Amino acid sequence: MKSVPPALVWLWFALVLALVALICVLVVRMLRTHQRRAVLLALGNGLAVLILGFVVSLLIELPAIDRFLNEFLNWNIFSKTWEYVIKGLVVTIELAVVSEVFILVLGLIIALIRISRIKAFRFFAAVYIDVIRGMPLILQIVVIYFGLGYLGLNLSRFMAGVLALTVCYAAYEAEIFRAGIESIHKGQMEAARSLGMGYFKAMRYVVLPQAVRNVIPPLSNEFIALLKDTALVAIIGLAEVFFRGKEMMGRYANVTPLVWAAICYLIITIPLMRLVQYMTTRLSLKD
Amino acid sequence: MNNDCMVEIVDLRKRFGHHEVLKGINLKVKPSEVLVIVGPSGSGKSTMLRCVNGLEHASGGHIYVEGIDVTDHKADINTIRQKVGIVFQSFNLFPHLTTLRNVTLAPLKVRKSNSGEAEEKAMRLLDRVGLKDKAHAYPAHLSGGQQQRVAIARALAMDPDLMLFDEVTSALDPELVSEVLDVMKDLAREGMTMMVVTHEMGFAKEVGDRLIFMDDGVIVEEGPPEDIFTNPRSPRAVDFFSKILSHL
Repeated sequence: MKSVPPALVWLWFALVLALVALICVLVVRMLRTHQRRAVLLALGNGLAVLILGFVVSLLIELPAIDRFLNEFLNWNIFSKTWEYVIKGLVVTIELAVVSEVFILVLGLIIALIRISRIKAFRFFAAVYIDVIRGMPLILQIVVIYFGLGYLGLNLSRFMAGVLALTVCYAAYEAEIFRAGIESIHKGQMEAARSLGMGYFKAMRYVVLPQAVRNVIPPLSNEFIALLKDTALVAIIGLAEVFFRGKEMMGRYANVTPLVWAAICYLIITIPLMRLVQYMTTRLSLKD
Repeated sequence: MNNDCMVEIVDLRKRFGHHEVLKGINLKVKPSEVLVIVGPSGSGKSTMLRCVNGLEHASGGHIYVEGIDVTDHKADINTIRQKVGIVFQSFNLFPHLTTLRNVTLAPLKVRKSNSGEAEEKAMRLLDRVGLKDKAHAYPAHLSGGQQQRVAIARALAMDPDLMLFDEVTSALDPELVSEVLDVMKDLAREGMTMMVVTHEMGFAKEVGDRLIFMDDGVIVEEGPPEDIFTNPRSPRAVDFFSKILSHL
């Protein structure tokens, strides 16, 4: 009989604990009929994890699990690197927020050009949107950073990142703005124009206020995507979370810093996702 | 071009693709006249009305509003539209603004009135349509009849010389129709020039100075409403009025 290493005991213990907690929560929730579907789903998930854990433990040798834990969840390495990695979060958030400001402005402008009555304008905007959306963002980041360097425009890594993210995400958000504008019944534009308002006044005071309200949830989702995509700017050497995680991974030859980097992103993104869902429900309730 | 006319329409034509909706309309509307336009759906009534304030572009012919040609591309359509109010079947109130803000928006943003004056005037207009107490409510909280009365107040806020009504009671529950018609009757009595597309024959008879019957893109009959109701000449008008007036 193999001796059971303490790590494995802890793993099982945590698993059983989680399951018990899950069942407790579920029993409480069972009381509400309309949540029964969700309860069954969660129960199924818990069961699947349990079975999977059991099967995996049968298939893998115990020393392998120990090696895994040592490589991915090493407390010693974590305590040395966590502070350095999480400091990158400041850069990540700055990059996302600064970019988002430019993205909203540029995205709206492109959307308005995209729906302009002048065919050449519409064509220009459509080409921009297609070309940008048809290319990997990581490639755009590299091209902008090094390309502008050759042209004598030496942007900092941060500003090059802002520029690349803006150019790319504006194309996506332009399409969201356009959908939002087109979702407003054309009677609104007609009513405003009939009162003697010009096209831009009608847009500014009647159509856009309604359209923007409709696109807040999708735009927020784009912001979350943007926050994660800032990691791509690591390719030009900007020391944000992912870059620092990778740096520490290299220094200590251990994956733990990268796992911590992943958690750093989750600290920001999960509350944001909850917030978007809350806003979406609130907005739809108002209708 | 006759300057005594509020509106003069000369050989107005309108095509949507290959389909010709208006096939040469000639029409004059005098100041303070109430012109009622009736006809089966698809006859081009609404299209004609929408051409008058430039919401539809004429494919041919001319429309003069107070002597200015609406169909002329060089004409300042925004200035003309301030003189021509329109009320739609579907209300088209601005849902993100309160009733009061719906009424004051155009005066504030187009005419650059100061907000105190604009609000005072809006309150007067809302009072006139019987909705002063709903000034701070949002359109979603008003009934259809109330929304339509706000829409009329909104159009009046620009001091139009001409009002267009495009089947304004067709989307309303039957018990709400009269409150809107009453506002329109008041307007007519005060001397507003009105072009009214409607299926309300009682209203046409009571308020209309003149009635035109349209079918298939042309004006088939024209005259005092009473005469046309009791004595339509064309077979199409006979058929139409026999169906529509049988309920009265």
